[in-house]
Amino acid sequence: MSTDLDIKVHHLTRVEGHGNIVVNMKQGVLEKARLEIVEAPRYFEAMLKGRSFHEAAIITSRICGICSLGHQITSLKATEQALGLEVSEQTVLLRKLLIHGATLQSNVLHAYFLAAPDFLGVGSVFPLVGSHPEIVKRALRMKRLANDIGDVVSGRAVHPITPVPGGFTRIPTEKELLEIRRRLIEDMVPDYLATVDTLQALAEAIPDFTRETEYISLRSDHDYALYDGDICSTDAGRVDTADYLGMTNEFIVPHSTSKHCKVSRSSYMVGALARWNNNHDKLCDTALNAAGALGLEPNCHNPYMNTIAQVVEAGHCAMDSVAIIDRLLDDGLKNERPNQEPTRYGTGIGATEVPRGVLYHEYTYDRQGRVAAANCIIPTGQNLANIDDDMKALVPEIIDRSKQDITLMLEMLVRAYDPCISCSVHMLDVQFKE
Amino acid sequence: MKVIAVGNPLYGDDGVGAAVLARIEREHLLPDAVLVDVHTDALAVIDHFTPDGLHVIIDAAKMGEQPGRVVRFTPDEVRLRIKWDHLSLHGFGLAETFAMAESIGEMPERVVIIGVEPETIQIDRGLSDAVASAIPEVIATILAEVQRDAAEDHPRH
Repeated sequence: MSTDLDIKVHHLTRVEGHGNIVVNMKQGVLEKARLEIVEAPRYFEAMLKGRSFHEAAIITSRICGICSLGHQITSLKATEQALGLEVSEQTVLLRKLLIHGATLQSNVLHAYFLAAPDFLGVGSVFPLVGSHPEIVKRALRMKRLANDIGDVVSGRAVHPITPVPGGFTRIPTEKELLEIRRRLIEDMVPDYLATVDTLQALAEAIPDFTRETEYISLRSDHDYALYDGDICSTDAGRVDTADYLGMTNEFIVPHSTSKHCKVSRSSYMVGALARWNNNHDKLCDTALNAAGALGLEPNCHNPYMNTIAQVVEAGHCAMDSVAIIDRLLDDGLKNERPNQEPTRYGTGIGATEVPRGVLYHEYTYDRQGRVAAANCIIPTGQNLANIDDDMKALVPEIIDRSKQDITLMLEMLVRAYDPCISCSVHMLDVQFKE
Repeated sequence: MKVIAVGNPLYGDDGVGAAVLARIEREHLLPDAVLVDVHTDALAVIDHFTPDGLHVIIDAAKMGEQPGRVVRFTPDEVRLRIKWDHLSLHGFGLAETFAMAESIGEMPERVVIIGVEPETIQIDRGLSDAVASAIPEVIATILAEVQRDAAEDHPRH
């Protein structure tokens, strides 16, 4: 058995942002196993200070190109709670549709372009374009339809503009929604089932590694919680979102410009696997059938299965989008104006399940409707301590393998979390209390 | 035709594409054009490709020129000209996006990139003076491209 190991992956590829994997073992003792986050901090919260409630969501939607919609919706919810702005049922349904589109797009891209190359033993998606063009075309077709859901509902998918505090500035037409519905049924469903088949054939490439941790996600009594819900922990049970600070406990570590988090243990996991573990009973049959085919079982403690959980919930996002469109059309589309008359100026919290896990925004507004204090807690930051703990457990289990193998296993582990380092690297720069 | 902006307006001159779109929209300069802002998701450019039609992509591009310099180039030249794309989606910059579109047979014939040399790509900065004053030239270059394209004969696909 080897007793010395020294791995340094500088600037890990196929994750968003810059992170390094560092593992160091001397004479059989693991000295270091961690993901170093070296990207320069970005002061999102400071940027929000003094901005009007109309601007907050526009700014936060630009924090990150791939997480744009999640930040925007979460920001709107925080603002609406702080200002006492009620939104209509139609607004909630349209936002749920947006979240489904964004989650579907992100999950599909991660599975096909970022994770699948590992399952197929190639360095990137580009060799697949030559060897499996139909798979790449399918992935792009699914991405395009998911993107089009965003375009139809919000104006523009990546930089959405029609969702504003209190509602939407433009309501999609019945014709637009029916066209999306048709494409979901005629194109997305067969593509999704083919995706499950493709992944089923590759499932044995997913490493078998188990480490139980605390799984935290939102949970709702009504549906598979993405848009809203209480905080739900496998250790601590259900907690009101008002107590989100106690369910994150950010702290600073020397090897990361992003803060780490912990609740009941030294770390916890957020994201698709946490959602699956907490909420699989709320998934539709299409998603549950996919889970069965892909070997994803309740109380799964293998972090590599996060990618599979993403694919499973993508099926739910597709089918529930059809259900939401049906409900919107049954109720009749109403040409509502957004409710933008604040009834108070205080503090509000938004919590949303975005593709990488639960995202929190909290804003305090002054009497002029300007942001006095802001706090954003990003999913990737919440997962960092858990990734480090996984590495510490994994390395001793696979220490007999070649250094190349161990390195690949560690890279795959980090990629399974689908980290968005660009989003996570930010520092709180505004005093939180009034 | 489509005018597609790539870049993050929160990062100084990376917002040049969005600023150009805003000007075109405000002054109704291209009433028939579809204006698309893909933000930093360069891969989303593929979603907006159609077999026919002109596509003009606006992006801040480090080309080793003076800040504010406006350069028109074609996808074939992208690999050579774009050296800076760290804000891209999971490493997908324009060059990778074109390579992917090409290999699946979805690269349109009429794609033109207008690159603007940035001065500053720092968070929470507006456009630098050099890049802000280049916006009229970017717009003139787009309009010239539309004229040139209209003068050519395009087979339908």
